Amino acid sequence: MFTRTDDKITATQAAVFLNNTVLGAGILTLPRGVSEAVKTPDSWLSVTLGGIIVMAVVTLMVKISQQFPGKTIFQYAGRIVGRVPGAVLCLLLVLYFLILAGFEIRSLAEVTLFFLLEGTPIWAIVLPFIWAGTYLVYGGINSIARVFQIVFPISIMILMICYALSFRLFDIDNLRPVLGNGIMPVIRGLKSTVLVYSGCEVILTLVAFMQKPGQAVKTMLIGIGIPVGLYLLTVVMVIGGLSIDSVITSTWPTIDLIRSFEISGFLFERMEFPLMVIWLMQMFCNFCSFFFQASLGLSQILKLKVHPVIYMLVPVIFISAMIPKTVNEVFSLGDFIGRMGLVLFLLLPVLLSIIWLIRTKGLKQHV
Amino acid sequence: MYRRLLPLILCLSLLAATQTGCWSSKEIEDLALYTGLALDKGELTKAEQELEDKGITYSKQNKITATIQVIPVKTTGSKDKQGGQQGTPYQNVSGTGDSLLEIFRQYSIRNERPIVGHHLKVIVISAELLKQQSIGQLMDFVLRDNDIRPSSMVFISQGRAEETMVSKRSDEVPSVHIRQMLRNRSRTSKVLSPMILSKLDALIHSKRSFALQNLVTADGETEFAGAAVVKGGTGHWVGNLNQEDTECLSWLTGKGDTGVIKAYDWDNEPMTYEMKAMKSKIKARSDGDKIRFEVSIETEGRLIETWNTSSILSSGDNTEKAAKLFEEKLKQMMEHMISKLQQDYKADVAGFGDALSIQQPRAWKKVEDHWDEVFSRARISFKYDLKITDFGSFTE
Repeated sequence: MFTRTDDKITATQAAVFLNNTVLGAGILTLPRGVSEAVKTPDSWLSVTLGGIIVMAVVTLMVKISQQFPGKTIFQYAGRIVGRVPGAVLCLLLVLYFLILAGFEIRSLAEVTLFFLLEGTPIWAIVLPFIWAGTYLVYGGINSIARVFQIVFPISIMILMICYALSFRLFDIDNLRPVLGNGIMPVIRGLKSTVLVYSGCEVILTLVAFMQKPGQAVKTMLIGIGIPVGLYLLTVVMVIGGLSIDSVITSTWPTIDLIRSFEISGFLFERMEFPLMVIWLMQMFCNFCSFFFQASLGLSQILKLKVHPVIYMLVPVIFISAMIPKTVNEVFSLGDFIGRMGLVLFLLLPVLLSIIWLIRTKGLKQHV
Repeated sequence: MYRRLLPLILCLSLLAATQTGCWSSKEIEDLALYTGLALDKGELTKAEQELEDKGITYSKQNKITATIQVIPVKTTGSKDKQGGQQGTPYQNVSGTGDSLLEIFRQYSIRNERPIVGHHLKVIVISAELLKQQSIGQLMDFVLRDNDIRPSSMVFISQGRAEETMVSKRSDEVPSVHIRQMLRNRSRTSKVLSPMILSKLDALIHSKRSFALQNLVTADGETEFAGAAVVKGGTGHWVGNLNQEDTECLSWLTGKGDTGVIKAYDWDNEPMTYEMKAMKSKIKARSDGDKIRFEVSIETEGRLIETWNTSSILSSGDNTEKAAKLFEEKLKQMMEHMISKLQQDYKADVAGFGDALSIQQPRAWKKVEDHWDEVFSRARISFKYDLKITDFGSFTE
């Protein structure tokens, strides 16, 4: 393998980068979150609809980023709305990434504590991951993208094997009737599907790193399409296997599905352990991605070198991960992130696009 | 290059400090794995009675007796025990109290190894206990616990549940034996499809009635004897279905397609039909507030045994006559089962509610809350189609 020195990534890397940013802890709790809101077996429709909406959002984000080739949102926001308002908006985005990074690492720690390492202090799980993440982020976007490329096929393969094996529990009747209570439950479920797609804001910086920004729309749609497909598959398999009533009462429904069967005579009798161990890598990828975005943003807004910023953020992320005191607080933090993501979406791509359109097309200014 | 070295060294040293050996590792030899759990009405064991007489107890109401079946890890050093008492490959430990976890923790002041539930396979609840406590109360702990897997299976016992955890045979573990007997579903539909914890969780949450496999112990042997009906609203045991009812239940719900039907022919000699295929379909119809069901049952099989030596069954006429008789028998069995569910127990354990909720979601919404009541009044009509396709390798 050759070592690249420039900060550019290929189209494949960009797609995998986006996928590994979005696909994470959500897969473990999504079926419950959506089912609680929908209360009928139509959750999968909510996820599909949510996915289509997110794809539109992604397209918008790419389009605005393509107007400023080679520039990240942290650099071009100021040019659109003025330096100070731009900086405020971007700091908000950095804050969002920091909370997300802390949330991912905390979810990772909670799952590990509950199922794998009961009795280990939480900091002993959180700290090594933060340190390893620091080392990875230190290497820049190229190293991160390459790690993602290695992790991606492994984690997807294990997930697929788990779902394939869980097919023995699958009962199509658990997913029926379709739209038994009309379309309203599906709409109600949309809100809770937003959280699982949170993180797709990284597109606002990712396009700047692409070798050929012209392919960005296609690349990013593929990048977000994989998580949409996998989330859909997750909801179908988990609700089909456990039925909606069981999913609502379960804290980690996806893991409970995998724990509901044993395969005697197989290499692993219990698939939840390989799944959890592999999925930790996936959540680690999420965390690194957000960590990278936050450090990049801060250094570009404050015009600092990126490496000291990375070290500076380590304690911040640790604190952000340790703020929730109970599991329930972790989940409500998740809901908060979902809402914040929505607000940020309205503030950043939408507001910026509108102002940019008015200034270039309406006022014929050169931005 | 050197700029990268510092974080690397920091990272590695931290990893080394935190990951040397596994932090919360436990050696498997030091743990007591339990594979079976039996729940009974509270009844002090002999040891507990004596302890209590000596004034040794803690604050509790003796509502349940929990028995766990521990599999000891055989170590090579225990050879000196040979010749003495004949060892069984398992060991049952009982405790009485009113909180499952508290009872579990109480074992720890009597036994040297801590118990872990990772390998729990079978949970048996006695019907007597289930009359007193609801299934939701009893299963709450096992559903919450992080060690116990949702793949554990739940059974009901007619007598004391702890008796199902004892075996005459010295070389097998009763809880594993029970689980492996489930494989016989390929031979008879009298064995219901196993109720795993995650399915039970859904049924408890949705307050639906359901049937669990019933266990009966006689002379140290445990048999799958029919099914126990648990009523949804209350979560209490209401009664049993006999073996033939259970078989019909499996066929009706489409979960079983094996088994035999025995009928008596025109000369009152037994003849037996071996089922090869079974298809059942429940159609829900609602006109206004009236709900009725149309069930069609199609089965194919072979005539495998007859004691009648005077008439040839494989001749056209007789085949049809025999098929009619089998159909009649099947009808009898089905109607017996349905009347028991509708009249005696007023509990829908055969999936009629599911059929309604899928086919007529609007009608279902109206009756969902008092479904068992509505079910007991619903009209159910059957249509049978039984085909004898062959006569084995013996034609006469």
